[in-house]
Amino acid sequence: MSALSDPKGALSDLTRPEGWVLGVSVAFLLFLLVALLTGALGPSYFLFLVGLAGMYALLSFGLNAQWGFTGLINFSVAAFFGIGAYGSALITASSSPVAERLADVPVLGSLFGLPLVGLAVGLVVAFVLAVLIGIPTLRLRADYLAIASLGLAEVVRLIVLNERWLTNGSAGVRGIPGFFQGWPVLSTFPEAMPGLRLEIVPGSPIFLETSFWQALLNVLLVLAFAGGAYLVLRRAHRSPWGRVLRTIRSDEDLARALGKNTYSFKMQSFVLGSLIMALAGVFYTHLNLYVGPGDLDPITTFYAWVAVILGGSGSNRGALFGGIVIVTIREGTRFLNDVALPINPAPLRLLLIGVVIVAVMRYRPQGILPPQRELIWPNAIDDRGAPNRPDSGVREQKGGGGDE
Amino acid sequence: MSEGALAKTNPVLRVDDLQKSFGGLAATDHATFGVEPGTITGLIGPNGAGKSTLFNLISGFYEPDGGTVEVNGADVTGMEPYEVADHGLIRTFQTPRKLEGMTVREAMLVGPRKQPGESFLNLFTSPGAVDESESANLAEAERILEEFEIDHLATQPATDISGGQMKLVELARAMLAEPEVLLLDEPVAGVNPTLAKKLKTQIRRLNEQGTTFLLIEHDMEFVMDLADPIVVLDQGHVLTEGTPDEVRNDERVIEAYLGGGA
Repeated sequence: MSALSDPKGALSDLTRPEGWVLGVSVAFLLFLLVALLTGALGPSYFLFLVGLAGMYALLSFGLNAQWGFTGLINFSVAAFFGIGAYGSALITASSSPVAERLADVPVLGSLFGLPLVGLAVGLVVAFVLAVLIGIPTLRLRADYLAIASLGLAEVVRLIVLNERWLTNGSAGVRGIPGFFQGWPVLSTFPEAMPGLRLEIVPGSPIFLETSFWQALLNVLLVLAFAGGAYLVLRRAHRSPWGRVLRTIRSDEDLARALGKNTYSFKMQSFVLGSLIMALAGVFYTHLNLYVGPGDLDPITTFYAWVAVILGGSGSNRGALFGGIVIVTIREGTRFLNDVALPINPAPLRLLLIGVVIVAVMRYRPQGILPPQRELIWPNAIDDRGAPNRPDSGVREQKGGGGDE
Repeated sequence: MSEGALAKTNPVLRVDDLQKSFGGLAATDHATFGVEPGTITGLIGPNGAGKSTLFNLISGFYEPDGGTVEVNGADVTGMEPYEVADHGLIRTFQTPRKLEGMTVREAMLVGPRKQPGESFLNLFTSPGAVDESESANLAEAERILEEFEIDHLATQPATDISGGQMKLVELARAMLAEPEVLLLDEPVAGVNPTLAKKLKTQIRRLNEQGTTFLLIEHDMEFVMDLADPIVVLDQGHVLTEGTPDEVRNDERVIEAYLGGGA
């Protein structure tokens, strides 16, 4: 049943934590709306935050496809993110050392500067790297991938920092265009839009200018990326393919004994997750318009793990929720600067994340929104007219109506 | 062809001169035997005789140091477990781990081999084929659960059912893989007598329907009642094989179990 055709039924179908999350989200949105209307929160900055939230959601989707689905421990989220970011930056940026050197090569030279080529390069490099690191480690026990990925993250970061001929080293890459540069209509959309002045609350006008429309385009881009990734993952998770991954997570030998080529399945899961992380990096490049070696710091990996564990391992919407929470904490604490505090608020951010994760582990170790119902290919259930919900949920007494 | 006994046999599983050592200890020591189609063959032997090692060698979880394993006439020696399964040999485990976050029905659906929906690309390029096979598999899973008289468990979380029920589910799931020969590793270990009886009935029923079994079991009463022939393993090699009565009265078997001869 869909939430649109039967809103009341959909509401009563929610489990307690789902209702709780819904309530908090609505309250949070109202709070943001008030902040926007009163001018306390600039509309362009708000859209930048939405873009950032989408980026973290992508990172958590990617990690969830590896850890949540299959139980693969990947500590190189930042590396795959960085490869996506640098891949697209080095192709598109005006200050890219590679582009400068190859500009005169026929055909090849003309590919530089095109964001879609940057996207493809970022994904291809991430794909190759994921396969290369997967070949030796995925045949072994889970801990070997964990160790290898820890090393990989550092190797990628150090290469980016030290290979100046390729990456500009610590100076980073500047002069990155927006993702829609060179596209018809969309490339000139922000400039073409008129500046608007809205005054909804008297005395605090809101200005919508070029930067706002630019940010709006970015939000649309990340919605397309994250929405696409979400739909793909949701379908995959409920499929026989996802079922094999979940079997591997609990008992790999069982899957092997039943005729599943677990090495191949683990590789697919690892590559899929890594590609989604690289996609987050590609988006970040065109959001931030600058990338530097600092973007590959392990903190990004840490944030993605917190988001997935917080949201509920194995749950796509849990990953989405976790990603949003991370951005809220990360960016929300900036506003503490305006409040007089006896201590410097910046380090509070990590402390707050630590407290949140400890609280979740103590009171809800399965995460806020764990997968809550049977994951059987939907059409198979509908075809048979069988109830599409178990007598008792897998983890809760009620199954969610919407997803997973 | 003078050995009439060998000439008429055409084993579905043939183990020939199989060897495996762990750091100088010969866990499997030139083991040779065959499993005839349509039988329930028992594999017994004292603790440490190498029964589980033999299972792991046959099913591809260990690579043998020497010798061959044939399933249906095909040489599967040194193959990956999934490749061995593709030849029709399915195995269960002594202590099945429960599949977290799955219902019994979902856990069952892992069983069928070569599902179209197990290809990532198919999910997007031919969802129709996935629909079809998943519906058929679901119907088949529910039918088998009914035959096993555990259909009431279908939508229970797999983590909530008892160890004995899990063994039944495991057997039921293995049937979804349509095995020609099914290896059961201690099917009734730690299972209460009522469920053990149920398991025995089911194994017998499936055998009558054409599935060949090779089972390891420590419960002598269970294995003597169910299996024929019985292969006795001691210190990695086949001590003897025969009918339950022959094995029961064989002095060497008694000696092996009592720890004599050392």
